[in-house]
Amino acid sequence: MVRPADVTALQELVREYPCVWPRGGGTKTGLRPPEGAVVVELSGLRGVVEYDPGEFTFTALAGTPVREVEKLLAEHGQYLPFEPPLAAAGATLGGTLASGLSGPGRYRYGGVRDFVLGVRFVDAEGHVVRSGGKVVKNAAGFDLAKLFVGSLGQLGVVVEVSFKVFPAPQAHATLRVEHRRFEEAWEVLRALYASSFDLEALDLVPPGTLWVRVAGRGQSLGARLERLRAFLQGRGEVVEDDAALWEQAREFRWVPAGWALVKVPLTPRRVVALEQELAPTDSLRRYSAGGNVGWVAWPGSPAALSEVLQRLELRGLQVLGGGGPAYLGVRGPEPFAARVKRALDPVGRFGGSF
Amino acid sequence: MLHEIPVSRYGPTGPRMARAVEACVHCGFCLPACPTYRVLGEEMDSPRGRIFLMKEVLEGRLHASEAAPFVDRCLGCLGCVTACPSGVAYGELLTPYREYAAGAVRRPLLDRWLRRLFLETLPYPRRLRAAVRLARLIQPFSQRFPARLRPVLGLLPRRLPAAPRPARVVLPQGPRRARVAVLAGCVQQVLWPSIHAATVRVLARNGVEVTVPPGQGCCGALAMHSGEGARARALARRNLRAFAEDVDAVVTDAAGCGSAMKEYGLLFAGRPEEAPARALSAKVRDVSEFLHQLGVQPPPPLAVATRAVYHDPCHLLHAQGVREAPRRLLGLVGNLEVVEPPEAELCCGSAGTYNLEHPEVAAELGRRKVRALLATEPDLVVTGNVGCMVQIAAHLWAAGRPVPVLHTVELLDLAYRGQPVPRLT
Amino acid sequence: MDAAQVVAGLRAIYPAHRVLARPAELAPYESDALTAFRARPAAVVLPENREEVVATVRWCHRYGVPFVARGSGTSLSGGSLPVPGGVVIALNRLNRILRLDPEERIAVVEPGVVNLEVSKAAAPFGLYYAPDPSSQPVCTIGGNVAFNSGGAHCLKYGMTSNHVLALEAVLPDGEVVRFGGESLEEVGPDLVGLFVGSEGLFGIALEVTLRLVPKPEAYRTVLAAYRSLEAAGEAVAQVVASGLLPGAVEIMDRLSIEAAEAAVHAGYPSDAAALLIVELEGEEPEVEAELEELLRVVRASGAYEVRLARDEAERQKIWKGRKSAFSAVGRLSPDYLVQDGVVPRTRLGTALAEIERLSREYGLRVANVFHAGDGNLHPLILYDGRKPGELQRAEELAGEILRLCIRLGGSITGEHGVGVEKRQYLAEMFGPRDLEVMRRLRQVMDPLEIANRGKMFPAAREPEPAGVR
Repeated sequence: MVRPADVTALQELVREYPCVWPRGGGTKTGLRPPEGAVVVELSGLRGVVEYDPGEFTFTALAGTPVREVEKLLAEHGQYLPFEPPLAAAGATLGGTLASGLSGPGRYRYGGVRDFVLGVRFVDAEGHVVRSGGKVVKNAAGFDLAKLFVGSLGQLGVVVEVSFKVFPAPQAHATLRVEHRRFEEAWEVLRALYASSFDLEALDLVPPGTLWVRVAGRGQSLGARLERLRAFLQGRGEVVEDDAALWEQAREFRWVPAGWALVKVPLTPRRVVALEQELAPTDSLRRYSAGGNVGWVAWPGSPAALSEVLQRLELRGLQVLGGGGPAYLGVRGPEPFAARVKRALDPVGRFGGSF
Repeated sequence: MLHEIPVSRYGPTGPRMARAVEACVHCGFCLPACPTYRVLGEEMDSPRGRIFLMKEVLEGRLHASEAAPFVDRCLGCLGCVTACPSGVAYGELLTPYREYAAGAVRRPLLDRWLRRLFLETLPYPRRLRAAVRLARLIQPFSQRFPARLRPVLGLLPRRLPAAPRPARVVLPQGPRRARVAVLAGCVQQVLWPSIHAATVRVLARNGVEVTVPPGQGCCGALAMHSGEGARARALARRNLRAFAEDVDAVVTDAAGCGSAMKEYGLLFAGRPEEAPARALSAKVRDVSEFLHQLGVQPPPPLAVATRAVYHDPCHLLHAQGVREAPRRLLGLVGNLEVVEPPEAELCCGSAGTYNLEHPEVAAELGRRKVRALLATEPDLVVTGNVGCMVQIAAHLWAAGRPVPVLHTVELLDLAYRGQPVPRLT
Repeated sequence: MDAAQVVAGLRAIYPAHRVLARPAELAPYESDALTAFRARPAAVVLPENREEVVATVRWCHRYGVPFVARGSGTSLSGGSLPVPGGVVIALNRLNRILRLDPEERIAVVEPGVVNLEVSKAAAPFGLYYAPDPSSQPVCTIGGNVAFNSGGAHCLKYGMTSNHVLALEAVLPDGEVVRFGGESLEEVGPDLVGLFVGSEGLFGIALEVTLRLVPKPEAYRTVLAAYRSLEAAGEAVAQVVASGLLPGAVEIMDRLSIEAAEAAVHAGYPSDAAALLIVELEGEEPEVEAELEELLRVVRASGAYEVRLARDEAERQKIWKGRKSAFSAVGRLSPDYLVQDGVVPRTRLGTALAEIERLSREYGLRVANVFHAGDGNLHPLILYDGRKPGELQRAEELAGEILRLCIRLGGSITGEHGVGVEKRQYLAEMFGPRDLEVMRRLRQVMDPLEIANRGKMFPAAREPEPAGVR
């Protein structure tokens, strides 16, 4: 493992070694370097480069811990709505981008891909390349910033990111709605999904617990909760410590130590099929973002889970490690991705294949 | 849009055509409003494309015959004018252009002969009546005739109504509030004379003295919109003389005629008759427009609750900008629910002689319009133009749902007289 | 290959009437909404299904014939400008909505579907398609995808790229690929995000999966009139600083107000130097609470007249004026160039003052309409192409404005894309290595450079504007 002190040092390292793999806070233990790759630790590339609260954008080096940025934003009444996961555990901006992970708050305004504005990265030949910009709207050139979301460091080493931010809500509140059976909870989730309620988060923890979070101006929160409870036919109790609850969720504290955690992109309808398969197993599940993502905690190696996913024509990403490949489930040929890889990293400097 | 049109070459209408081209910024907002673009799906058959083609022809870069198929297919519905944010006066480009092109384009013999037939027959009620009778005779043998003729035969009414004897002057009921001259129309007199009768009665009932000046004739719309400028002017001159008397308004009950008469100023641009033509145009009102402006006594409610779907004739909605008046008038009738059809802005395909000269496109539009009207599950179709009524009635029949079709004034008239409204049994 | 051979080759794929080759058929396709540029293609084809599109691309690749895909031709940057002697693939007949799944909140559409039609189809389910470029009654989804179109309401929920979930596309060398998925989340790199906004250089989208969102329960639309453009710009800063997140924040200046008013009679306060439109959207109690704050801020910001739309009809009227503004400007001038620069929001005032100065310096009027909420400017440079040299001056002025945007740390294009119009400025925004990486991506997708040749990337030679010949 090597630790460059700055971008120039990083460039030299990339030119020097045949295969390198970037590492941020090391929080996504399910993501492992390719065989023979030199791990480049980026904690030295850290710090906010530019932040003008009036602009609602910031630029920071990739190794900057998410926690640090969120604290700075909070001081100015701003936040990242998509709640990068594992921030308390030490996640960095670069790692968040490269792993493409978003927290439960992605439900309202979008995930990490919807907030990234621009990147600078070191390419396979050691040059620093810029894409996108620092302003919230930009249609110039190809959108490589988006491309890097979820790229797992296989297209280049991100050194700097620009994000847009939103004004932080004045107040939050969460309803916990208990159901006896999963099917009932899912029906209610569907009804909320179709409604015009502006929810910050909508999570379902099997068998039947629904977590519904609202946020906004303090003076209207009460009325909104009333209407929500009326919609839920009077069910749902307001949770005491809303902040702690969602902190737990985004830090995956419900995942037992040593277990694998797999992210499975879903849609509300696909949630049912997956739950049916997994309910009889020892796994723990949490369906987040209105049913658009399933977080599956699996004891031991997730090979069996991968088979289930494959059967259901789903894909998965092993976020917290149980061993084995990062990508699970369906793995077909991806000609478009393969071309992108060929263009950006023809020599395989960054490992991986599509 | 930039252009190099040698404006002076085109006489008094040259500057009007050039101005329309200049106003166009090629933004394309007119495309969804154009019925032919919706049906044909190609840029040449869109207002934006036609403006471009007409510009190219006027600049001398294209020959008029090359642009002819596309410009000919334009309905002249002016739906594009309503949709255009830049204020392109498309009608002021199309009508003079067609007159220019008529001289420059050599059409196939059958087309010329058919057009001649329409222009010599339709504007003259006696000839039209005779022609219709003849056509009904040969209708059973229509398969033997050229395909171009069959749609004409298909649009003929089942029964030719009795020839009316319109009165010259009709006195108002009660104190006189206004005095108007009414255009009796040409095709309407033969195919749907009840409209004129209803117009006169409704006006009289509301205190309007009606005169139907003798010596009037066809407004010239058909000729004007086919590029037959000289013929149109000849017909219009007759009306300039017939309607010379000072009245509060010159009232028409056919949207196509009203729109043509409001264009008399353009028709005579740069000519000696320009001033009286503009003066006459300024006095023209559609009957719904006039009645709404005047204010009418609400008729008694209908005996039976009735749902009517209102169809906007393109020459009333787009060409004359009259949208609210007929709706307000119908709104005064109790026990009448007036509903709006989807795609209200699209032409029904009648557009003068369009359904005779471009039968496929017209039929597609007719079918589309009838689908939209029937979607509202109406008891009645109400509209303000005889051309639309013939087209819609024919396509309702073809669709197996012959819902009755009435003119706005016919419905008002029935309500005033406490007569039952026709229903589909 | 000459034009006749191109036509002959395409006639093997299409019935004759769907290969347009005569001058009168080709002329209307020579330009899009950027009328300063014209180019004559060898042929225009009118495919009616995806197989024909794929066959056409493969044919073009086989013979090295450049092609340009076209939706409704409303691009403001020359995106659908033909390549001289090339093929135009008109996609407007691929206009079916293949699937609309209200429960999953997705719509799968062909590229020729008109933007607004998606929302119309979704409306009965209480859903809509959020990105709303002003040309939405005309523009197609395919075009929106190519240019990552924005619109007034993308402040809160993003642009086209944030609403496309999956794509099937034919690459310029003829391979058909699928990427993305129906989920809002994903594993793997965001390939959809890369394709959206690639300006046709990566091929043609055949099938687009769109994200639908529930219609907001309530809107509150505020119209405020100011005696100066600066004051309106300042008000925007204050609205944003107050912590509100409106659905849309727009500004129009005097010239554009005049044009819009003449076009649609929206009833705007006559005499205003600038109009600010702020629209809140969301749950009823929330927008009511936000409205209180908004009105307080707006009233304190020096507006001399403040109006609140009382119902949906009034709200539509306010927007109609704003959305017609570009085209309506055609009433004020024989021609215009519309720019699309972005500046950091806090530099809006500076940018506007500088544009005004440049306008005086070049002797050309500039109307301003813009998405004040995200600093996206749309200066409309009015000119009369018949006056010698005026088009050129207009283009120079446009260039100065773009450079200004770059200088202030913004972008040369917020949503209209680079196209033909701004390609020379790409090199001012990105360094040589940045462009090299982009070129490599282009190369791997399109080795023969037949897809939208001559666009986006700076060329050796300046493109030929149509001008007055």
